[in-house]
Amino acid sequence: MNDQSAQARSTRSGPGKVLVAVYGVFALAACARAGVQIATRFSEAPVAYLLSAFAGVIYVVATIMLARGTRTSRKVATVAILIELMGVLTVGTLSVLDPEAFPRATVWSIYGIGYGFVPLLLPILGLWWLWATRTRAA
Amino acid sequence: MIAVLAYIVMALSGAMVVWGLVTAALDKPPGRAQLLFAAGVEVVTVVQSVVAFVILAQGFRPVELATTIGYLIGIVMLIPVAWFWANVERTRFSGVVLAVAGLAVAVMTLRLLQLWIPAG
Repeated sequence: MNDQSAQARSTRSGPGKVLVAVYGVFALAACARAGVQIATRFSEAPVAYLLSAFAGVIYVVATIMLARGTRTSRKVATVAILIELMGVLTVGTLSVLDPEAFPRATVWSIYGIGYGFVPLLLPILGLWWLWATRTRAA
Repeated sequence: MIAVLAYIVMALSGAMVVWGLVTAALDKPPGRAQLLFAAGVEVVTVVQSVVAFVILAQGFRPVELATTIGYLIGIVMLIPVAWFWANVERTRFSGVVLAVAGLAVAVMTLRLLQLWIPAG
């Protein structure tokens, strides 16, 4: 972070600090949940549990990249958060249409209802924050 | 899990949430007393997890054993990480970070209480 203007607009600063903290909580929640599911009852719903693990990985990547706040990490964070948004919308919709397939098994089921719909809000806030902190040159 | 201890953890972590939001509203970084309080909440949270593990070791089996163990381990990690993150760059938002951790600890303690039902 040699560039002063980039530092001032870093994704980790100001309200971004809180965003990183919330992403961190979800990284922990999704990974722990996936770990328990895969370790204890993987055969029951392998697809749902692998999705849980995938969600966990996405949250970890987004947390670390937003916390780093460099030019490269912004790009990775943007991709990760776009995947996250697609994930919560896809899994959310599928879990509404076919509840049998996703019995509250992932953080994204029914758009994250088990977590107060924060999983639906988080990618929108994340993308907004990346947009709000963009550098003029880029 | 001891219900009284869980309620104490929820009350203390709830106070951490309020305190963090108050200093943020006042545009101040968390003060020394506030950080010490957060450390105190962490100590009580660790005590809660240790007590729960002792009860598990004595043979108590909740319905969701693996989930319970995951919560008991995960819950003690929140405040130390939040403490570190809050101190990286001390602003009003550091208080909100502590509030986020406090809320997560309170919610996880509530879930632990709900999960603490003996397996049939």
